[in-house]
Amino acid sequence: MMQRRLWPAVLVAGVALAGCGSAAGSSGTASTSAAGGAASGSASAGGTGKLVVWDWKSSDKTAANFVAKAKADFAKKHPDVTLEFVAQPFDQYYTLLGAAIQAGKGPDVILFNGGGQIRDRADALLPLDQYVAADKDRLAGWDAFTKNGKIYAAPITLQGHPIYYNKAMYKKAGLDPDKPPTTWDAMVSACAALKKANNVPCFSVGNKEGYGIQFWMSGMGSSILTAAEYDSWIAGKRDWNSPDVKKLFSLWKEANDQGLNTPGPNSTAMFMDAFTKFEGGKAANVFGLMSDVGGWHEMNPILGADNVGAMLAPTVTPGTSASLAYDGGIGYGVAKWTKDPALAADLVRSLASTDALTAYSSDAGAIAADKTVKIAGGGPSAATIAADIPGGKPALHVALSAKTQEVMGRMSQQLLSGSVTVDEAMKQLAAADQAG
Amino acid sequence: MLAKVRPAHAGRPFGAAGDGGTAGVPVARSLRERFTGRNAERLAPYVLIAPAVVVILLLRLWPLLLGVNFSFTGDGARNGQPVGLANYTELWNDPVFRTALRNVGLLILLLPVAVAVPGLLATFIFLKVPGHRFYRSVYFFPAVLSPVIVGAIFNLLLAFDGPLNAVLGAVGIDPVDWLGEPSIAIFSVVGVQIWATFGMGLVVFLSGFSTLDATLLDAARVDGASLRQVIWHVIIPGLSRTIQFVFVTTMIGLLTSMFGLLFIMTSGGPGGSTYLPEFYIWIQQGQMNRPALASAASTVLFLVMLLVGTAQIGLLRRAGRED
Repeated sequence: MMQRRLWPAVLVAGVALAGCGSAAGSSGTASTSAAGGAASGSASAGGTGKLVVWDWKSSDKTAANFVAKAKADFAKKHPDVTLEFVAQPFDQYYTLLGAAIQAGKGPDVILFNGGGQIRDRADALLPLDQYVAADKDRLAGWDAFTKNGKIYAAPITLQGHPIYYNKAMYKKAGLDPDKPPTTWDAMVSACAALKKANNVPCFSVGNKEGYGIQFWMSGMGSSILTAAEYDSWIAGKRDWNSPDVKKLFSLWKEANDQGLNTPGPNSTAMFMDAFTKFEGGKAANVFGLMSDVGGWHEMNPILGADNVGAMLAPTVTPGTSASLAYDGGIGYGVAKWTKDPALAADLVRSLASTDALTAYSSDAGAIAADKTVKIAGGGPSAATIAADIPGGKPALHVALSAKTQEVMGRMSQQLLSGSVTVDEAMKQLAAADQAG
Repeated sequence: MLAKVRPAHAGRPFGAAGDGGTAGVPVARSLRERFTGRNAERLAPYVLIAPAVVVILLLRLWPLLLGVNFSFTGDGARNGQPVGLANYTELWNDPVFRTALRNVGLLILLLPVAVAVPGLLATFIFLKVPGHRFYRSVYFFPAVLSPVIVGAIFNLLLAFDGPLNAVLGAVGIDPVDWLGEPSIAIFSVVGVQIWATFGMGLVVFLSGFSTLDATLLDAARVDGASLRQVIWHVIIPGLSRTIQFVFVTTMIGLLTSMFGLLFIMTSGGPGGSTYLPEFYIWIQQGQMNRPALASAASTVLFLVMLLVGTAQIGLLRRAGRED
């Protein structure tokens, strides 16, 4: 019996010993840590071999054409190279990728979301500046894939945060559906009219994943922060003591307390419950996306293209002028462990070719990063968005690190439930932002 | 301490070969031909358990040690460099991880409820309340559903504009944001977990009941004992081993298999109030790209489980010794 009692002690001692040896073993652990299935073969030499692409899109029906076009373009340059597209489930994507990065092997070409997700993993990627120089003018949205002045992926789509509204509801409330409110006060009274006429709350908000605050921040930011504050925020000089920055968060809480939001935002998922509610006529407005899901491509068939409007943020701080917040949405990068960087970079260029992006834009309903691709059949809302793109600015939340975004998600939920004050939330956000 | 008749001792080293057990004979004999007599006999059992030991050492303990080792290195720019206890200090200072540990404590506190639910229901079935056959089959049904499906069902039921709040509204109670209110959400999720898993405990309880001495129950009834007295003085003492077993298995279930429900129902929110250590590990490794910090959290979770597990083994052993 004593022997059995000893086992836990032996285990603990073993664990402690392992800790002492951490320095010596550290280089070894990086390559031996459990990566398991992550390491699919990646052998490419010269003009032959195989390139493995990881993404969460290629198995979608709407991406079939895009993949076919990109493959065709690549085959023209490298007919002997086999391409393997591995579609991973999105909710596991960065977990699987993390394992591959720890193992130092895996896919050659990797799809990323712009902003924190790629910047946090830039160490595992190859700077692409020399390869994509010819595409720099044709494509937009590079900033979201750039870290310390180096480009790590070529943008495929642009992603941004227009405010969509239900024109039929505006009409019913006696508001001009073609002239949405331009100031926050007008918005609040419009909300009252909308509620009276349609018996629905003003905004469909889903903050279960903590995305609601991100969409709010980027959708409203340009009308709350002054131009100077906005630019320095994007440049990384964020003043968390500024009254305007504080206003971003106090108004988030205020709007909810005033009953402008759909009830229970903390337990409503943005994807897709919040959008489903807007599309189902249970709210008059929603902070949406402009590519893929949660935008015009999805709303048009349900509400009717002519009933979906898109607007910029109504002015909160006098003297600000609202602009569309957008960045590069998704883009393909090259892993630094790939055997032949030039070959992999060529594939990235094929994936971002005009032909491929035209197919993706029309099938998946995305605003392509390629400036020469026109949006076909997107209705009035897509037209409004297209018109706002030239005057647009990078989105505020994309500039934050993944860590800060996570803290912001938590703080935003606590703000809504009243378990933290705005000042306390600002303090924690400032700390997270400065640490990251 | 009288009960020293423990089969595990009897089956120690020389058991396999020395007893002339059917399986041991050919191996022992072939070894005996090569080496001489006693030595081979002593070696045989080790050879026999070697595959299992190798698997455990190679696939369990070695990765465990690698993980612990890894938790003392840095993330990101400091990848692979020794950082001492930095990850552990960070964990300690992270309010989310502290909430996760506090929630583990809460789960242990809620354990009696999780055991009482199947226990009471099994008692009613055992006492043959009207419709007990129907309930017996229905109660087990949720246990075969995957947590993802259970979570999705309850997401709909517990939604702010969902059926539960509609029912409450009909009787004049204000709607409650079951999954969106930090002080309530963890109880909602634990409640659903209990609902989803009590079927297993119920089956164990029912099998325990079948070993109860019926004459004792009859005697109690004849003596005029009330239902409460029957439960308290006859059923519970008679079922003490079953209750302990359900305690241990339910605790394991609560501490290790709530990830699916959390992931679907709250994603750790609102405001981080429903985090558990597994979920924290997953977020740090997957979403935050902090594998070393995640390893440190795993190590802490391992130590917690080791503590809980040792306590459980002690409990089970005491239960086994009682008769």
